[in-house]
Amino acid sequence: MNALIQPSLAQKGWSWFSQALTQHSSFSGYLQPLIQMLVPQWTTDAYRAQVVEVRDEMADMYTLVLKPQTGLIDRQWPEFIAGQFIELMVEKDGARTLRCFSISSSPAYYQKTGLIELSIRIQQQGRITPWIRQQLEPGSLVNISQAQGDFILPETMLYRRKAEKLLLIAGGSGITPFRSMLQQQTMQQLAMNKSMGESSPQLDIHLLYYSRDDQQVAFQQELEQLQQDYKSLTISFVDSEKEGFICAEHLQAYCSDYLERTAFICGPSPMIQQARKVLAEFEVASDKINFEFFGAAPIEIENSEQGVVLFQASEKTLVSEKDKTNTLLEQAEEMGIKPVSGCRIGVCHQCICKKKSGVVFNTRTQEYSDTGCEEIQLCISVAQGDVVLDL
Amino acid sequence: MTTNLASNRPDAETLKAFENDLNKIREDTMAKVGEKDARYIRKIIRIQRSSDILGRLSLVLGFFNPLFWIAGVALLALSKILDNMEIGHNIMHGQYDWMNDPHINSRKFDWDIWGDGASWKRYHNHEHHTYTNIIGKDRDYGYGLLRLSDDISWRPKNRFQFITYTLLSSFFQFGIAYHEVAGERIFAGKPKGNSILPISREELKHSFFAKIKKQVFKEYLFFPLLAALISWPMFFAVLAGNMIAEFIRNWWTSSVIFCGHFTEDAQTFDEAECENETRGEWYYRQILGSSNFDGSRKFHILTGHLSCQIEHHLYPDVPAHHYVDMAKQVQQVCGKYNIPYNTGSFAQQYWTVVKRVAKYSFPTEQEQAAAVS
Repeated sequence: MNALIQPSLAQKGWSWFSQALTQHSSFSGYLQPLIQMLVPQWTTDAYRAQVVEVRDEMADMYTLVLKPQTGLIDRQWPEFIAGQFIELMVEKDGARTLRCFSISSSPAYYQKTGLIELSIRIQQQGRITPWIRQQLEPGSLVNISQAQGDFILPETMLYRRKAEKLLLIAGGSGITPFRSMLQQQTMQQLAMNKSMGESSPQLDIHLLYYSRDDQQVAFQQELEQLQQDYKSLTISFVDSEKEGFICAEHLQAYCSDYLERTAFICGPSPMIQQARKVLAEFEVASDKINFEFFGAAPIEIENSEQGVVLFQASEKTLVSEKDKTNTLLEQAEEMGIKPVSGCRIGVCHQCICKKKSGVVFNTRTQEYSDTGCEEIQLCISVAQGDVVLDL
Repeated sequence: MTTNLASNRPDAETLKAFENDLNKIREDTMAKVGEKDARYIRKIIRIQRSSDILGRLSLVLGFFNPLFWIAGVALLALSKILDNMEIGHNIMHGQYDWMNDPHINSRKFDWDIWGDGASWKRYHNHEHHTYTNIIGKDRDYGYGLLRLSDDISWRPKNRFQFITYTLLSSFFQFGIAYHEVAGERIFAGKPKGNSILPISREELKHSFFAKIKKQVFKEYLFFPLLAALISWPMFFAVLAGNMIAEFIRNWWTSSVIFCGHFTEDAQTFDEAECENETRGEWYYRQILGSSNFDGSRKFHILTGHLSCQIEHHLYPDVPAHHYVDMAKQVQQVCGKYNIPYNTGSFAQQYWTVVKRVAKYSFPTEQEQAAAVS
């Protein structure tokens, strides 16, 4: 394990050599501004992708069709697994902004066409999602990260004799990773049917899809088509306006064999909390519940008093109110300190900062930190009592 | 003498109004910061990287024609000046952190100079910018070598401080690395009881040597050896070219910085008087302790806009190329409240620096009298 993480002696030497000559840890970092004159948007830490199409799915949702660039200077964008997400980086007013989106199309589709799709819900108060819709057009270049995340179906399932049964629960735009998974299953199935005949095993999937109203359901037609192509897929469309959020009755009514299934949940965080609670009450083992949410989780602080956050390097202190649950990143920005930040949801690790002392609550892992000195991610850390930061 | 702040400062009410006016200038400017600034700094970086590469190439072409060698020295000096002043200094002040660009970021950036960037940033941004011109607190004040105020008692070595000054400017990058950043703290041994180091002395020591090693390798070994592959005397041609480029850069940065804080009217302060300053009082002291000089736009860029030292001290994290416009407004505000604003031509300001270095080479009359009796 260590051998993988620690750079080899040759790598270290090369990096030293580059540092000595350019003060940058890589020559490409030093040359980047010059390379960009010939190759716009080229960066050392991300891949380039061209916008092929911007397609409106609904009034408040659109799909970006991207073609990751390949060529002499562009490194090959690595393969992804259905259900994973990427960081989309755009430069707005001179500042690089990152947002994470699930890839809503399948790896099989990417292999066939070289395209990936991101389906993006327009956040009404959002700074970036409406802007991207206006700003990007076919031909625009954006930067993307490689795909990440472990919200994926166990990959070997397709070849199991007794296929595992799955329950997918989607809320609103949380459908995007499932669209990728279902598309992948269907395309693989079609390919296998060709080679093995109709008898190839199928995954038994039940999708429980909550939308706010039945007039506008993202990808409804497409999903219905998949249901026809893929025999062991059942989809229940639920209008949460009429029928409410997920509850025990829904599970029993729509998918009575839920206890045999492994659950995958994606949607707004209150929905995820609710779904997890419902499943937990039925004593579904926690390793059979997978979930993904974008947006730092809301938390309830149980017994914290008024806390003081000391930003040591900037010599600033902030007294936060008892009921405030702002992250340390937000608090730092409130104080006029501008730490490096990226995705703001605990993914990209750019806002790593040394905590000198104090306890923070990690809204992503739902864990309390140690009291000592350690590196924390500012964007998902909430101070619990007094905290000293090297910032 | 250190300025008696308490008796000279305008009253609290005036200072509050003054503070608000200065804050307003900052807000108005920050509202404008955006895409144009990103384009600007990237353009300057492109110019610097191009002149670095072309300069090194040109030095080697000196093999065919000495004119290439001269052009090479000039380009390399330009590259180093831009890298240190408009790019490195300003990026490490966090002026471009909002861009969220991993290569244009105060946390990561290092510059083409002996002093390690990260160590410099920790001390400079904190000590020099907080305790500007406070005798005993601001390490930049005279760099521990020069007596530039009668608050420091005269010692016989000061008699030769004009020579010291010439040497300091010639080897300024070592001066920075040794005195301001790290060296002295490592070697002199006596850790101050009241100073809390943000990093350990071991880390400092490591960064100090690691950075110098890299710089020596690059300028005095690698590039000269590369040229020696063509013909061995080219080793010395390139070595000399690199050293001269550094020498030009050293004198330039030293002169610009001296004009920022050690002109005739730049004042000094006593530590006790600066405790519990309000923002307005802090602004006031920053203005009294700094001085500006005029020039063309290109000239300002070459100084890294430290030609607007006053504005740099008031707004260290505002992208520096806004300083020229801000200076007009700050000067107006100072006029409004009758606060002295020290500016002039580069030649004028530099002349007063030279006079100051010369003047304090000699003991004051009291000291002379005391010595006689």
